[in-house]
Amino acid sequence: MGLQVSIRESDDVSILDLRGRATIDAGESELLERRLQKLVANGARKLLLNLTDLTRVDSSGISVIVGTCVSLRRQGGDLRVLCPSGPVLEVFRVLHLLEAIPSFEDEAQALASFRSRDDAASSS
Amino acid sequence: MTSPCNSAAPVQQKRALVVESGRDIDELLTSVLDGDGWSLRRADDNQHALALATTEPFDLIVTGRKMLGPDDVEILRRIRSARAHVRLIILTDRFTPGDVIAAVREGAFSYFSAPFDAAELAEMVRAAMAAPCWDDGIEVLSATPAWVRVAARCDLSTADRLVQFLRGVRDPDIPEGIISAFREVLLNAIEYGGHFDPSQHVEISFIRARRAVACRVKDPGQGFSLEELRHAAVNNPADDLLRHVAVREAEGLRPGGFGLLLAKKLVDELIYSEQGNEVLLVKYIDPATSQVA
Repeated sequence: MGLQVSIRESDDVSILDLRGRATIDAGESELLERRLQKLVANGARKLLLNLTDLTRVDSSGISVIVGTCVSLRRQGGDLRVLCPSGPVLEVFRVLHLLEAIPSFEDEAQALASFRSRDDAASSS
Repeated sequence: MTSPCNSAAPVQQKRALVVESGRDIDELLTSVLDGDGWSLRRADDNQHALALATTEPFDLIVTGRKMLGPDDVEILRRIRSARAHVRLIILTDRFTPGDVIAAVREGAFSYFSAPFDAAELAEMVRAAMAAPCWDDGIEVLSATPAWVRVAARCDLSTADRLVQFLRGVRDPDIPEGIISAFREVLLNAIEYGGHFDPSQHVEISFIRARRAVACRVKDPGQGFSLEELRHAAVNNPADDLLRHVAVREAEGLRPGGFGLLLAKKLVDELIYSEQGNEVLLVKYIDPATSQVA
């Protein structure tokens, strides 16, 4: 399989480290969709996708990421991405997805962004 | 036109012959093949591989990288005349676009030119045995250096092989962006026009002009109207980049809808025919940076 997904937790944020490619070729995008759906079904509402080692993404992989993001926001959660680069960043850029899905270069800052969102929500 | 795929089952007995290509490639192939339970045999060079292939049955042969492109094609021709259905992956350092076309014509499974993408090579080796049948998948209908026309069977494995052949050309005027755009419209044609039916084919033309690269994909379907695709991101308003996601959910469609938009953004022009079952991609070449005089 051309995609490896490992999951770790930081407080209430689930961090998914993606390695390989998120494409339709050998079912990689389906694998990603299953892993994300399982996390959300188990209650995860804040997801950070670490794309540092994601080498390629196509429309099927993007669709899974965007679909999960929209679903989470409807449930009061959110999805953010970390360190997209090379061809992956190019896909996010040409689709203007960086305007819709927050992207970070530093994991600590990405995690802090979830906390600041909670702070803003609780003070309003 | 190629004949339908008749074989139902993937290959069970897996015997691979790998020609020495240097430590990095040898280690990569060994790790992939060992991990997937192959019986592995090594050859010192392509001539040695030819001698072994004519006396022993192999399911997969990976050539050595140090031969000239025409020599690879000759080895391919001679091995396939002895073993008609062997899957042969060519690795090469020295080649021309014509060598890649000749390899497709002679029935290579795949073609990798240096610098090699290790992950893509590993996936192609795995795909070589996963496909139930393959060697009627791509047919070269006509080919000149400037215009190549092929028919490709409507399945994902064939699409992957075709895309890798295009990558193998390593034309600096055909960047990864246009290859990705081609892949997206090809997958659309195979899924929506051909319904992943292996008895159906899409027809593809690659045209390499001095100031542009063009690619035409014609699928066997009834076509569609681009303007009516509300479930596709290509028709989202500028102030609602994700509108189509809700439309797809309401219509019970799986996540998707970015393929056409991605293809459109990666080329200079994307033009559909009136019926909607033919699409043309055009990427203009900057004369200042082009490798073609």
